[in-house]
Amino acid sequence: MTKESAQSAAEEDQQAQSKKALKKQQKEAEKAAKKAEKQAKVAAEQQSTEEDDFAKDRYGVSALVQSQQKLDRKLVRVQDLTPEKADQLIWLRARVHTSRAKGKQCFLVLRQQQFNVQALVAVGDRASKQMVKFAANITKESIVDVEAAVRKVEQKIESCSQQDVELHVERIFVISQAEARLPLQLEDAVRPDGEGEEESRATVNQDTRLDNRVIDLRTTTSQAVFRLQSGVCQLFRDTLTKKGFVEIQTPKIISAASEGGANVFTVSYFKTSAYLAQSPQLYKQMCICADFDKVFCVGPVFRAEDSNTHRHLTEFVGLDIEMAFNYHYHEVIESITDTMVQIFKGLRDNFQTEIQTVNKQFPSEPFKFLEPTLRLEYTEGVAMLREAGVEMGDEDDLSTPNEKLLGRLVKEKYDTDFYVLDKYPLAVRPFYTMPDPHNPKYSNSYDMFMRGEEILSGAQRVHDAQLLTERAQHHQIDLEKIKSYIDSFRYGAPPHAGGGIGLERVCMLYLGLHNVRQTSMFPRDPKRLTP
Amino acid sequence: MPMYQQQQGNSCSSEHALQNGEVDPAVKALEARQDEILRKLYELKAAVEGLAKTVTTPDADLDLTVSSSLSSQSSTALFTGTTDLDALLGKDLGALRDIVINANPAQPPLTLLVLHRLLCERYRVLSTVHVHSSVSSVPPQLLSCLGPRHPDSHSRHMFQLGFTLIWKDVPKLQMKFSVRNMCPIDGEANVARFLFKLLAPHPSEPALATLVDSWVDTAFFQLAEGSSEERATALRDLGSALGRSAWLSGPELSLADVACYCCVLQSGSAPSAPANVRRWIKSCENLGYFSHAKTLLQ
Repeated sequence: MTKESAQSAAEEDQQAQSKKALKKQQKEAEKAAKKAEKQAKVAAEQQSTEEDDFAKDRYGVSALVQSQQKLDRKLVRVQDLTPEKADQLIWLRARVHTSRAKGKQCFLVLRQQQFNVQALVAVGDRASKQMVKFAANITKESIVDVEAAVRKVEQKIESCSQQDVELHVERIFVISQAEARLPLQLEDAVRPDGEGEEESRATVNQDTRLDNRVIDLRTTTSQAVFRLQSGVCQLFRDTLTKKGFVEIQTPKIISAASEGGANVFTVSYFKTSAYLAQSPQLYKQMCICADFDKVFCVGPVFRAEDSNTHRHLTEFVGLDIEMAFNYHYHEVIESITDTMVQIFKGLRDNFQTEIQTVNKQFPSEPFKFLEPTLRLEYTEGVAMLREAGVEMGDEDDLSTPNEKLLGRLVKEKYDTDFYVLDKYPLAVRPFYTMPDPHNPKYSNSYDMFMRGEEILSGAQRVHDAQLLTERAQHHQIDLEKIKSYIDSFRYGAPPHAGGGIGLERVCMLYLGLHNVRQTSMFPRDPKRLTP
Repeated sequence: MPMYQQQQGNSCSSEHALQNGEVDPAVKALEARQDEILRKLYELKAAVEGLAKTVTTPDADLDLTVSSSLSSQSSTALFTGTTDLDALLGKDLGALRDIVINANPAQPPLTLLVLHRLLCERYRVLSTVHVHSSVSSVPPQLLSCLGPRHPDSHSRHMFQLGFTLIWKDVPKLQMKFSVRNMCPIDGEANVARFLFKLLAPHPSEPALATLVDSWVDTAFFQLAEGSSEERATALRDLGSALGRSAWLSGPELSLADVACYCCVLQSGSAPSAPANVRRWIKSCENLGYFSHAKTLLQ
């Protein structure tokens, strides 16, 4: 190369470089210009936002309620929002069930227990754009205080419990914010299983529900179930109190396993061990021997049965009855069945809303019963089963499938979901059951069934210390372990009988549900200890 | 006779008192004899009335209005002829054979209540009344319509037959017995036919059997549910039949009489019925089983 060509090459290079550099510079300048433009725009927007938000004071996240002030403000219940309140300006506190923005409007559904109502935040003279945006962004399940005007609606709002009105929101404040990601969606938790499968929408499985019980219990179905359960307890107490029963409290930490050794929880008790009571049996009977005549108790019962079934819990609420009678243990059966009938009537007459709510998610046949309660004898039950093709001995116990079949046969013939089976064979009953006076194969004992499942096992108790000792020996029970029990009958004991039911199981069967965990708030089973 | 008593009452103490205020013992004795004669006269009057009823009521074995005064305990069965429950209802599986009847409290089945009484005469029947949860309440006479509770009712297996009446919100009366082997029986007429077969063998002679059946149909379709014209026709037919024989199907009481009596009563057409029919109604009522049904209507 000549000096001249080298020079020009270098010059060319330089030119190329400077061209590149120019291009780069240009690009950077463009970028900077764009950025500046954007910043200016944002700044302008912000300014305009601040300038235009005339509703600034009418929404927001409130400071944590630490009882800073005692407002005398009346909060209206969602269930009271009816056309009667039309055009009133009211305050209420509820959860945000759903919120969705649509242009200049935001539709909210506000929920309080089983009731919900539609609410509207619309850009207008009370609400600004920013306020609508804020409302649309409130996370589900957050608790809000809302001031709104109640307005009648032309068309019924089918999806809400309050169908004839909607709220036009003027002020909305978040009292307690929920995290954005919920472990389960309430709409999914309330969806009937069938619908979920059909429309491929999610339903929530039982374990997820139980792990997040606090949220699951908020659903309309759960609210209804546990209100009904509260009703059962209330009716049980009221009916028995009216009949002259006395409520007693029995100890749950006991020194010896009452029913039969295997299924008790052991607890360490100072330097020794004790057990959690399987039933209040012993103490109920002692109360009768102590002249309380008619007693009942409501309390926890602990069964260490490793049964993972739809109807077993390791801890459940027992409703127990014990009663002295005059001449025949049927006096007690009549008292117990009448109590059950009063409970069923009370539920039928006062809890229809709750029953319908549960049926929406879990459809079932309404519960039917007869008054007075149907009482069949064990031999009749066996005859009915044999007629249906079941082979069983006279003194055999009823297996669970046979119990269910018998329940269906009884339902077919008598159209009742509740009945008593009386005079069980002696061989399959506990040692303290009074034998039948005329036929040694049978006993004065009975089971009661709801929808074909056993809810109560009861009997006339042996109230004679001598006979009790013989029966215990016959069952090969260590007499030392039950010495204090036998002693209760040595100083004059009236003839008595009784039985106990499980609150959760009764609710489950009354509502036609299929798993006892649905009627136990925080269920305990061999695999679950929390929440 | 009432006059006598009045006079006696008035004149008692004032006219026959002695000076010290006491009544002459002779007068007392006379009064006592008069009281005794009056009492005997009343008793005789009642007895004669009772006998008169018996005479005018064909084929009645025992009139319960007479039985109380003649202090007779036993009542012979109204129907003779053997019926074997095992043959009719299937082998006894060692448990109570329970007949379940679902009836609407708005239409109490009088025929079945009469037949229930007849069944109780013949067999050891365990009778129970239940109210189904579909009905909120029922008047007390419907709760006690099967009579007082049997003292042995705590032992179901001691009875031959169960009669379980359930007051329920049903459109039509229905009977269930053996759910596996029998379909339910619908309608009061059909259940009445079933129950009657447990009491007396169905007349084996076809013509007679058909006659009884046709009267049962007349009772339920025309007397109970028919228009006023149909009812009037039926009553006339009853009248002419009763002109020919003591009871509707002949010399013997049958289901025809039970059904027609109950339906006539329920339709309220007894007062306007022909003379024959009214006489026959009286005869029915003289048989104790029917009077209970009448009280239930009130």
